[in-house]
Amino acid sequence: MLKKQISITLGIMCFALTMAIVIQLRTVHSSTSTVPQSLVEDSLRDEVLRWKEKYDNAYAELAISNKRLEEVRKLATQNDITSMAKQQEITESNMLLGLTEVTGPGFEIILSDNNTGLTSEGNKVLDITSQIVHYDDLLQVVNALNNAGAEAISINGNRIIQTTAITCEGNIIKINGQRISSPFVIKAIGSPAILSGSLTMIGGYLYLMEEDGVNVQTNQSDNLVVEAYNGVISYKYIKSKK
Amino acid sequence: MILIAIVIGCILGAVIGIYAPMVPYTYSGYLAIAIIAALDSVFGGIAATLNKNFDLKIFVTGFFGNAILSILLTYLGQKLNVDIYLAAIVVFVGRMFNNLAIIRRYYLNKWTPNKKEDNENSAKIQK
Repeated sequence: MLKKQISITLGIMCFALTMAIVIQLRTVHSSTSTVPQSLVEDSLRDEVLRWKEKYDNAYAELAISNKRLEEVRKLATQNDITSMAKQQEITESNMLLGLTEVTGPGFEIILSDNNTGLTSEGNKVLDITSQIVHYDDLLQVVNALNNAGAEAISINGNRIIQTTAITCEGNIIKINGQRISSPFVIKAIGSPAILSGSLTMIGGYLYLMEEDGVNVQTNQSDNLVVEAYNGVISYKYIKSKK
Repeated sequence: MILIAIVIGCILGAVIGIYAPMVPYTYSGYLAIAIIAALDSVFGGIAATLNKNFDLKIFVTGFFGNAILSILLTYLGQKLNVDIYLAAIVVFVGRMFNNLAIIRRYYLNKWTPNKKEDNENSAKIQK
């Protein structure tokens, strides 16, 4: 009896053990190429993080240097009217280029994907992709805002400058090389009434998006803050023509 | 009887293992550590049988308990970003070598009866 019990237990255990070993062998055999691949992936990810940290450090240093430069400039131009005018010109140019944080009355739009699959009237939607915010939606909104006289625009903290591209990268959107995803907060400085009217009027782009079922929130504000462009404007080919 | 049960278990396990679904690669690490733990228990069981202090309850609980505990430790290590499974492997493989040494000495003593005293002495010295 005892011997029988022992042999049955041992049999079950050997069964479990060999089954586990065989499954493991098959798994390892089928994915031998995954091992170096995932290792490479890990090291690449590490490297990306390291570079990102380096970039952030360098960027912080740049910001400090810029501040110091500003101070030095201010100090140097204190008692000189022409220099002061120049200084003001520089500040203004930087503001228009998008290199400084700006504030003013404006219009804020929050667009987010609708995951319910229902339109605003509660009907089931035919094409689910129409309820997702695409990169061309952002392009259209930015275009409409510019058309309505917006003076500074940012999307999720990324300032739209003259070289900004808005591109589609699979399931995310890239602006100024930064990857962003829903919800999208679009801030524009300009006349709140005109900006709002041009987009939310019947047939306006936000009106159409809302009809498609995208979640659209709008907000007119008297003191909106639009972030500065957090990159470096560089050029290689451009020259001024004398 | 016991031998037959073991052989049947092994064959059944191999056959079912071949046709069983594969484990996702993410979890194969856990399965590997469980196998090491179970193998350690098996060698421990054999060594205990030779020493005549084999206890089925201890064996079975050790077999499954060690496997589950090592999986949990590996999981915890992955959450904490510490390779705890390395510690588990060191312990289990170390114990496997100990148990293999016990088994080896037992058969050495058994198959060389003339030099039994000698072997026991040398074993002690080696230890």
